[in-house]
Amino acid sequence: MNYSDLFKVAFKSLLANKRRSLLTMIGIVIGIASVITIIALGNGVKQKMISEFKTSNSGEQTTQITFSGKEDSTQGFTTSDIAKIKQQFSKQLTQVKFKKDSSDISVSDVSVGNATLSGTVTLLKKPMPNSKLKYGHNLTQSDLDLNQKVILLSSDYAKKIYKYSQNAIGTAVIINGISYKVKGIYKSESYTKYSANFLVSKKTYYAGKKMDQSNTLKLTVAKGNGASSVTKKVVKYLKKHGENRHLGSYSYFDEGAILKSISTIMDVLTYFISAIAGISLFIAGIGVMNMMYISVSERTQEIGIRLAVGATQKNILWQFLLEAVMLTVSGGITGFLIGWGISSVISLAIPYHIHAVVTFSNFLLAFGVSSAVGIIFGILPATQASKRNLIDILR
Amino acid sequence: MISLKNINKYYKQGEQEVHILHDITLDIQQGEFVGIMGQSGSGKSTLINIIGFLDREYKGDYVFKEDNIVHYTNKKFTYLRNKNVGFVFQNFKLINNLSVAENVALPLMYAGVKKKEVTQRVSEVLEKVGLGGYEKSIPSQLSGGQQQRVSIARAIVGNPTFLIADEPTGALDSQTSAEIMALFKQLNTLNHTTIIIVTHDPNVGKQMDRLLTILDGRLISDTEGE
Ligand SMILES: Nc1ncnc2c1ncn2[C@@H]1O[C@H](COP(=O)(O)OP(=O)(O)O)[C@@H](O)[C@H]1O
Ligand SMILES: [Mg+2]
Repeated sequence: MNYSDLFKVAFKSLLANKRRSLLTMIGIVIGIASVITIIALGNGVKQKMISEFKTSNSGEQTTQITFSGKEDSTQGFTTSDIAKIKQQFSKQLTQVKFKKDSSDISVSDVSVGNATLSGTVTLLKKPMPNSKLKYGHNLTQSDLDLNQKVILLSSDYAKKIYKYSQNAIGTAVIINGISYKVKGIYKSESYTKYSANFLVSKKTYYAGKKMDQSNTLKLTVAKGNGASSVTKKVVKYLKKHGENRHLGSYSYFDEGAILKSISTIMDVLTYFISAIAGISLFIAGIGVMNMMYISVSERTQEIGIRLAVGATQKNILWQFLLEAVMLTVSGGITGFLIGWGISSVISLAIPYHIHAVVTFSNFLLAFGVSSAVGIIFGILPATQASKRNLIDILR
Repeated sequence: MISLKNINKYYKQGEQEVHILHDITLDIQQGEFVGIMGQSGSGKSTLINIIGFLDREYKGDYVFKEDNIVHYTNKKFTYLRNKNVGFVFQNFKLINNLSVAENVALPLMYAGVKKKEVTQRVSEVLEKVGLGGYEKSIPSQLSGGQQQRVSIARAIVGNPTFLIADEPTGALDSQTSAEIMALFKQLNTLNHTTIIIVTHDPNVGKQMDRLLTILDGRLISDTEGE
């Protein structure tokens, strides 16, 4: 009997009792699926941490401090702030820069038609997807690259001024003294890149504009310094000496610490769920053992016939062991796929863009654990099958 | 070829040992067509289980082809059985979730014969027992006589040295019994296969070249057939 024959025989016997086989598999599927789900999410968190806090080759790390003004249009950081920070933290910081804001920048004194209003601008480097355009034309890549003074208006905003938003097309919008021609109307959507009132080329917006103010400050922390502790010190310093400290507040959003705590929670969860899955697999294993004992006693005649026509005890042992292992391994693989699916769905629902990550070694884990369950709980019934007394069976 | 000397067999029934076979001494030559008769419970099955290398727990000597097999290891003993004996049982003993061809192929599969050869050999023996073309059928779709033919095909597919049939016609009507007996006879005369058939039907017994009679575990007569 070669291996493919043995597989065929085992497969056939499992199929002969489909419902029983499926019910026995469920426990394995649940156990493996839950472990894979939590591991995949844990992998995602770790991967996120690595990509987010990649230190550069020289060991430097970058962090950001943001300023939130009491009034929308206040720009918190000034060149003198930068000079002071550079002087104060010369050892810890290698670079202090304004960050060019690019989304939801508050602008006031915008003239649209006959009105003067305030609004928000998002700057583009790449064109908006055409699907979001409602009327007129989209901005093209060459519009963005060649400093064309064209703009897209959100339909809600346009409606406020012109009764029908498409009437805005071709009119002028003046922001920071620069006049832009309205090329198209788009549908703004909250919580996306396209939630602002205006979309303008980033190059055009900052062209000829000397950065002397910003709401975000970018720090590069020198090698060997804790990025978050240095940044916290800078925040503390700014609270005492920052030029606009009375007009708003400085904050440091420590994503590292948050991800670290998520990661710790994931570790604890992984242990917890693995323990529960372990119990589930143990109970499932006992189910497999039970099913195999029933199968062996139901198929006494078959065992006798096989022994009488030339099967060795080893052949019989392998046949039943393979049946148990095939059952648990198919459960394991199904569980793996389900776990992968569940973790992908969950990752859509959690913040910080954490993706479920499943690796080949996770697959091997599912495969290994399920075959181990099959072997451990299948060996006793299989041994019993192979030790059946031929004469008693054939009587 | 088969030579039994003073075989005694005991079975434990509860606390006490029951003496089933008493001093059986017996020789069977290659190519013989032997019948074993006796009342139910007289020990016929017990005896052929010993002859067919299914049972090795007895006292006495069994010399097979000039070799005393009493001292064989279990492995060698199993090998001996697989190489030399084909079994036919009263209730056919076919595996019901396998096709006719798969049932017949079993001995060859366990012997490690190549797939192509197996298919060819199986068709040959099915032809021989009069079931050519039934390869794909399921045993339960066949009549009793046909099922017994399948089990005979399975017994001879590996070219065994001898065939053992324990009441092969016990579950068949007289017409079908006659057909099955004719098949055995044909295998014996054409292929010179040694055949040992247990029966308690005197009509069957009459057709044998040689007839052994057992009563209460003792061999009481050994006669040439007519
Ligand atoms: N495995 C066994 N354990 C105990 N007693 C047995 C066993 N097999 C057979 N016997 C007894 O041995 C006797 C002979 O049985 P058997 O050889 O099957 O008779 P036959 O085939 O001639 O009808 C019977 O009394 C039966 O009860
Ligand atoms: Mg009997």
